[in-house]
Amino acid sequence: MRATSVIAGLLLTLFLLGTAAAPARAAESVGFVRNAEGAGLVQREGKELAAREGLELVEGDVIRTGSDGRIGVLFHDDTRVGLGPSSEVRVVRYRFQPARGDLAFVLQIARGAVTYVSGKIAALGPSHVRVETPVGVVGVRGTAFAVRIGAD
Amino acid sequence: MRAPSWAWLAGFGLLPYALYGCASAPPPPPPPPPVSAGVVVVVVLLPDDAGQVGRITLSNPQGTQELSRAGEAVRVSTPEPWHSSQGASRSRSISAPAAPFAMDSEYITRVFGAALAARPGPPARFVLYFEGESDRLTAESQQRLAEVARSVVERRALAVSIVGHTDTVGTREYNFQLGLRRARRVQEAIRAQPVDQSIVRVDSHGKDDLLVQTADNVPEPRNRRVEVTVR
Repeated sequence: MRATSVIAGLLLTLFLLGTAAAPARAAESVGFVRNAEGAGLVQREGKELAAREGLELVEGDVIRTGSDGRIGVLFHDDTRVGLGPSSEVRVVRYRFQPARGDLAFVLQIARGAVTYVSGKIAALGPSHVRVETPVGVVGVRGTAFAVRIGAD
Repeated sequence: MRAPSWAWLAGFGLLPYALYGCASAPPPPPPPPPVSAGVVVVVVLLPDDAGQVGRITLSNPQGTQELSRAGEAVRVSTPEPWHSSQGASRSRSISAPAAPFAMDSEYITRVFGAALAARPGPPARFVLYFEGESDRLTAESQQRLAEVARSVVERRALAVSIVGHTDTVGTREYNFQLGLRRARRVQEAIRAQPVDQSIVRVDSHGKDDLLVQTADNVPEPRNRRVEVTVR
């Protein structure tokens, strides 16, 4: 009886450990680098990838341009983002499953000059779009805008 | 999903140091200007490609400003950046977004010219139609096929999606296969082009994605189509 419960406990522990330690399900592509000029990279899980045309992007990616760099990103819902030189954004959260009503676009702009044109996520559920800056959050009702973050 | 995102946000100010501080091999890369040194953020509303102007808001715990005209901008400066995940208590040093002002187009071009040029253009879309319960293009759509193929080449496309659709006549399985045959018909036109064929994705939504809603078993020419998106 006691042995059974110990084994059951062990199994449960192993199961829970396994669940916790299981690698996150393969990161889904959220879009890709449509164009890139000059120095630019994508930082993913501690690795730095050259931001070349066609590079698929996933949630959590940090996209960064050098002083001569420009990068254009096309997301699967047709949201479009442009980074000027010395700019940095992070794809915090991206969900585009309209059939399941699962929508999210959270982009953090850390520095530089960044342009945005809304896609289907903003058209279907504008409340799911958030563009975060160091001084506040941009809420989008379906449109284009630009953000510049400069030194004081 | 929320927790890691929040944790990252909390450590946001430290990130540049975490990234650049651990490089040991000389010469050390120059650190970027620390984000926490105080920043000015300018947000400006722009027309989209079609010339439409929407509406955006800039909000922080001290206030909200709404922009609704092209070229309208709002500026906020702060000695210490704040992120929404930190809650309102850490936001005292940030002022409320000031009243919007009109930003002249020369300034927009100077500051955002490169970021605007970097922004990809909108994808090209084509809808091609088919005769009856067949994979034969209508005469008009047959003519447009060359235009689709040309677009893939001229745009130097990185992704092409070809999705076949049908009306509601017949079973789901039958229509799935019919939609697939239609999509492959269009794919043939691109196959003749000098482009990397691995960028082309062919799919069928059968009768599950109607352009015009109808009851089951209703012939509807506008639903017998292939939608092509060139990105």
